[in-house]
Amino acid sequence: MRRRTLLLALLLSACTKASSGPSNELLIVGYDREPDTMNRYATHILEDIQSCVIEGLVTTDEHMNVVPVLATEVPTLENGGVVMRRDGGMDVTWKLRPGVKWHDGHAHTSADVKFTADAMIKGDWKPESTDGFDRISSVDTPDSLTAVVHYKEPYAPYRLQFLRGTLPKHLLEGRNIDQANEYNRNPMGTGPYRVAEWKTGEYVLLERVPGYWRGSAYPKIAKILFRFVTNATTRINQLKSGEVHLVALVPWDKVRELKDLPAIRLNRVLGNGYEHVTLNERHFPPFADVRVRRALAHAIDRNLIVKTILDGLVSTVDGPIQPLSWAYEPDVPSYPFDPTKAGVLLDEAGWIRGVDGKRRKEGKELAFTLITQSGFTIRENVAQAIQRQLADVGVGVQIKLIDGTTISPVWFSGDFDAMLHWWQSGADPEITTFYADDKIPPDGRNIDYLNDAPLTKVLYASDREINQDKRRALLQDAQRRVADLVPELFLYNTSKIDAVPATLRNFKGNPTNAGPFWNVHEWEIVR
Amino acid sequence: MLSFLLRRVAQMVPLLVLVSLVVFALIHAAPGGPLALYLDNPNVRPQDIERLRKAMGLDRPLAEQYLAWAWAFVRGEWGYSYADGRPVMDRLLERVPATLQLAGISALVAVALSLVAGVVSAVRRGVDRAVTVGAIAGISLPVFWLGLVLQLVFANQLGWLPSAGRTSFAGGGLADRVAHLVLPVIVLAAAHAAGWSRYLRSSMREALTQPFIDAARARGVREGQLVSRHALRYALLPFVTVVLLDASLMVSGAVVTESVFAWPGVGSLFTESLAKRDYTVLMAFLMCGAITVALLSLASDVVVRSLDPRLRDAA
Repeated sequence: MRRRTLLLALLLSACTKASSGPSNELLIVGYDREPDTMNRYATHILEDIQSCVIEGLVTTDEHMNVVPVLATEVPTLENGGVVMRRDGGMDVTWKLRPGVKWHDGHAHTSADVKFTADAMIKGDWKPESTDGFDRISSVDTPDSLTAVVHYKEPYAPYRLQFLRGTLPKHLLEGRNIDQANEYNRNPMGTGPYRVAEWKTGEYVLLERVPGYWRGSAYPKIAKILFRFVTNATTRINQLKSGEVHLVALVPWDKVRELKDLPAIRLNRVLGNGYEHVTLNERHFPPFADVRVRRALAHAIDRNLIVKTILDGLVSTVDGPIQPLSWAYEPDVPSYPFDPTKAGVLLDEAGWIRGVDGKRRKEGKELAFTLITQSGFTIRENVAQAIQRQLADVGVGVQIKLIDGTTISPVWFSGDFDAMLHWWQSGADPEITTFYADDKIPPDGRNIDYLNDAPLTKVLYASDREINQDKRRALLQDAQRRVADLVPELFLYNTSKIDAVPATLRNFKGNPTNAGPFWNVHEWEIVR
Repeated sequence: MLSFLLRRVAQMVPLLVLVSLVVFALIHAAPGGPLALYLDNPNVRPQDIERLRKAMGLDRPLAEQYLAWAWAFVRGEWGYSYADGRPVMDRLLERVPATLQLAGISALVAVALSLVAGVVSAVRRGVDRAVTVGAIAGISLPVFWLGLVLQLVFANQLGWLPSAGRTSFAGGGLADRVAHLVLPVIVLAAAHAAGWSRYLRSSMREALTQPFIDAARARGVREGQLVSRHALRYALLPFVTVVLLDASLMVSGAVVTESVFAWPGVGSLFTESLAKRDYTVLMAFLMCGAITVALLSLASDVVVRSLDPRLRDAA
């Protein structure tokens, strides 16, 4: 009897704890994976936890605008922050916000900006990407709050160069950054939080830093706990039972389960990514005929796919630059669902339908293999819908599911016909790496193996154009050209849906990989 | 006994070398590598990939990589994780207690359950059917599915138990730890208890037909004693062997259980490392696994020899 009472007591104590809701004392985040390192330049995982601790000179907001954080303003040609040099290079002047201190009390200065650029240029450690830094020749620091970055050539995405923040010179100078474990596990930042505890395999606990530069009113929430729950179903179960309060990037097929929970609000923003079918012209030569590509685009009923498989959570798109971007061009050729037109185009291209319903040309059947990553229910369903809809116009599709780690080298080597996948990009609208004819792997991500000289020319011109209006015009040209060529079948925008407590204020979400924690300092629980 | 032990340990060495070769080859033959994940980020350029490949030493010939690894491994230098740059030894050691706790408690629970179920179903024909159905269910239910269903029922519907993790944050105390253990232990123990009880049942059945049981019964030994002292002792021999050999499978069962319940043990470290192709961690994990299996099979031989007086003099 006594044992039974004890057990009951155990159970009761466990469930009272499980049901304590979010508060300004503690917010618990169910997170899909453990970070590899807290060093923002070295991590290749979403930077959510890191961005609560380490601030960039800028960040990107929920509308994908570049907004200043540790810089007083974003340098542009108009405000004199960017100067084109006569030798073909450019100088970008970053003015730093005064009064910002590292968590140990040292002042954050232009020396830290210079140290960061130098460390990235030197590259004797393992930063994930040195994109842009390899075009910097040197950094000058005329005073402690001004850093002048000298580029060897025009570099249009310069505004995002220091999105990932700065490395603390006073801590890391003269050290092997890869092995500076106390920094990589518990980094020195200027942000509203610092790492109080990282229990490997279980959680990272962040605590408020007193004296945050935005004032003592920030951040509003004292502690944020990131619990690592790898399994998506478990993560959603924990959200429903109240063991975690917030789950970022809810898989679309789990949204239905969460819709009617009163304690949860689903926050949806457009993503800066797009789901599409890559058509590899080199591996499957029939794709090299633009009539075939246009026919396939006409044969797929994207609205039906979005309405049924995706519950209307996303919207269809016609190109690689997403509606949130300042460079977005809505007025491009599009390919509405029209199987008859698809048939006519295929006939024109010489692919004639036989009595068995299959299309052939010179005895060869029009059939290809569509690869996609396994483990995504939605994607598997979309692949099947595409298979069915293309079968209706006489095109054969065989689906092959490949696991996440294995699929990357497959597409990188170009050994596939077609692939259903997405690209998720940063806030800059550069698309050269996807379409320029010299950007086929290993030199880029042109896995359509598209070869179009006019497009390549305009893309490279856009990369070197610093004036935003002129660059927009070039990118609009490029988008029209891409839509005309349909190197890939554009399906839908990858909306980002975050499940947050209904009582959380000022959560805004984020379309890019900068992540929804970019404004964590102003989050507040209001009961 | 000592010469027996030495001989067995000496036999383990070539076996482990062979295992290390096979495992190394398999891991490197699997498509994708530690750099595969970097490819998805359009901002990671080819020069970045090349730079990282060199930094990780992946540009050297495979044989050279293997020899470097093997030489370092025997000296106790297990290298650094490709994923987070920390020493592999630290990464493994910090995960061991959680797995030992989960696997150990599950093993105890499973042994207790299978002892009761195995003996009762061998002795009481009436109960046998019910136990058999339970055991078959236990064997055939996928660990993954059972774990998720238990979460749904006990955490989401009833709200009695936490669904995952090792502790609630700030909960801390003993009660909280026990509450977090309940579901994963049930899942991990169920599969093993089911199998083990079947072994015990059949060896008990066999024991009860032995002449020495009839002899004991003729001497007037009571039924209860007959079962617990005479038959069970005989039946335990094969059971112990199976349990000890299976104990290593406990860890592989823990791989799935740990990922369903977000349990911070070596099992979830393994799944993570596998997805990232974190070669150094994978090699260390698999070698430790191989060594454990070899040691457990040695242990089962030793235990069986001490339980069975006939074997003691044989070697």
